Amino acid sequence: MNEKKNVKTLKIPFLGDLAVSFGRTVLGIVLGLITGGILIAFSGVNPFLAYGSLLRGAFGSMQALSNVLVRASPLLLGGVGVALGIKAGVWNIGMEGYMYLGAIGASIVGVMDLGLPPVVHIFLCFICAAIFSAAWGLIPGYLRAYKGVNEVTSTIMMSYIAIYLTNWVVSNVPFVAEVGSFYPMSKKFVSSALLPILMKGTSLHPGPFIAIVLCLVFHFILNYTPFGYRTKMLGANPHAARYAGVDSRKQIMIIIMIGAVIGGFSGAVESMGLKRRLFMEFVTGVGYESVAVALLAGGNPLGVIAAALFFAALKAGGATMSIETGVISSMNSIIIALCMLFVIGVGVVDGRRMKKIVDNSKDDEDDQEKAEASVAKEGK
Amino acid sequence: MVEIIIDWLQAALRWAAPLLIVSIGEVYAERSGVINMGIEGIMLFGALAGIAVGFYMKSLLMAVIITILIGALLGLIVAFLTVSRRTNQVVTGLMVNMACLGATDALFSLMSETRQSRVATFPALFPQSMHNIPVLGPLFFSQPVSTWVAFILPFIAGFILYKTRWGLNVRAVGDNPKAAATAGLSVIKIKYQTVVLSGIFAALGGCVLTLAEVGYFSAGGMAAGRGFIVMAACVVGGWDPIRTAFICLAFGAADAAQLRFQTANSVIPYQFLQMLPYIITIVALAIMVKRSIVPKTWGAAYDPKDV
Repeated sequence: MNEKKNVKTLKIPFLGDLAVSFGRTVLGIVLGLITGGILIAFSGVNPFLAYGSLLRGAFGSMQALSNVLVRASPLLLGGVGVALGIKAGVWNIGMEGYMYLGAIGASIVGVMDLGLPPVVHIFLCFICAAIFSAAWGLIPGYLRAYKGVNEVTSTIMMSYIAIYLTNWVVSNVPFVAEVGSFYPMSKKFVSSALLPILMKGTSLHPGPFIAIVLCLVFHFILNYTPFGYRTKMLGANPHAARYAGVDSRKQIMIIIMIGAVIGGFSGAVESMGLKRRLFMEFVTGVGYESVAVALLAGGNPLGVIAAALFFAALKAGGATMSIETGVISSMNSIIIALCMLFVIGVGVVDGRRMKKIVDNSKDDEDDQEKAEASVAKEGK
Repeated sequence: MVEIIIDWLQAALRWAAPLLIVSIGEVYAERSGVINMGIEGIMLFGALAGIAVGFYMKSLLMAVIITILIGALLGLIVAFLTVSRRTNQVVTGLMVNMACLGATDALFSLMSETRQSRVATFPALFPQSMHNIPVLGPLFFSQPVSTWVAFILPFIAGFILYKTRWGLNVRAVGDNPKAAATAGLSVIKIKYQTVVLSGIFAALGGCVLTLAEVGYFSAGGMAAGRGFIVMAACVVGGWDPIRTAFICLAFGAADAAQLRFQTANSVIPYQFLQMLPYIITIVALAIMVKRSIVPKTWGAAYDPKDV
């Protein structure tokens, strides 16, 4: 309530709003970190020591920094995929599923020695990843756009199906699965299908940089192209968009499929750059984390870069923290979730912008009928 | 053959029980306009609470009571965020799930001694002698108390929703909060009540999942999307407690079938059988969604000043 008063007292029209929304985000993050610290203290570790080791683990050395970048790669790509959906008013939150499908696509081409030069082979892997994940995204996209099935549930269900599909691929499909391995995994990628390591002694692959470029590209697309304009219009006011002649169904389906392809790239990058194989359940929790990233960024692709790097630093540092101080390893996902809960809890006004989550096409008809009825009444 | 079918049906009833219990709370919450997406995570907490209390206190009653308290607390958090702070319900739910997933994993790693030992599970309601009655014995009389409760609850819930004043209030709040507020109802209060209720039932469902079906807790999200399946069941069942219960029963049957097929040597790889409940959920949504009558303010935040 107090903040509401503050908003009114800050009379500077544009900068004031920006400062308030930025301030709220920072306040939310700080509150989340404090609560996380209290939880760490409860688990019997000095929170200051723990956070100190978190900072060291994230920024202490070149090794640590490259680790942050590597961890940022799936968050960046997943985040921009979800953010694109948020801009169009759809919750495309099945990033985990798209990642699995992309990785399956990449691994089918990647494990085969085709005698191709690396550039061509890598390109082929990405194409295959895109095809697989686009096909996966087509299902919830079509259902949402043409059948009115809420995409929140369907994308999550698709993610679970993708997990089992991956398990099947890495344990049963003859030319992909490694025979007699201790854990279900695919064969090793052929060296021409692997992304190069950029820095000796680290696992830094070009993935995060590709992802940052993609974020910039989508920033440009959203803000400077007719496609981006249609997308944003659909998210801001579906009625107006439909009135202005936007084919909202097609647009929604395309947006979900683009998100799926980005997710597929993310999975391909993870498997070709970092894991070098396709493992059973090789991504866990990225679906939720991508939503957190996109949300912290407010659906803005440029914001995704900052948000993803922040969470990646939290994750990389969190891993060091749990090794050095014995804090439980799932603490960093708790802290991320707490930060986001505080951020959304503190910012009431922002909630309104994104409150539409239901397909209201049915309500529209109702509204139209009502409008027509009221017009008829007035006519009489 | 008959034995296999009876065995499958018996398992279907058992596996449907947690879904049924969770669905009751969720139907109320969604009828009042709030989608509590946090039920997946709250189920995890209930599941852990059931096992942990059952293990340390050796009392099923205490396990249920503490599960209810935890569920109410988590429901209160969701209610505070979605109703009072008017946050986006999808986001709130997902973040609550993420926090609960991390927190239950963390707590479970501290309670490693509960890992192996099986705790006392819910007892069967009827005496042992009745279990041997053909067909009916294994199907109904051998079921634990939780299954019986789960199958009676939807009817009570339906009665309360359609025949009592409070049920009418819940429906009014979901369909037209402004009119409800004008009529003197406290919209906020009723939404709080239903969301806390959904938290309690979600936790109880998780408790039943571990104490009556699985028998142990496993890290990494053992609810396996059951919360989301219940949400789908609410949509498919048109937010009616009894119809939703039937949908949940169908999902339970799919779950039981995939477990049965896995042990039998079937031609289909077992991973595809594991997908079955999720595929059925999507197919059911695609077929049924047009027929459901959505509560008018489903998923929208209610602002008392927004007149």
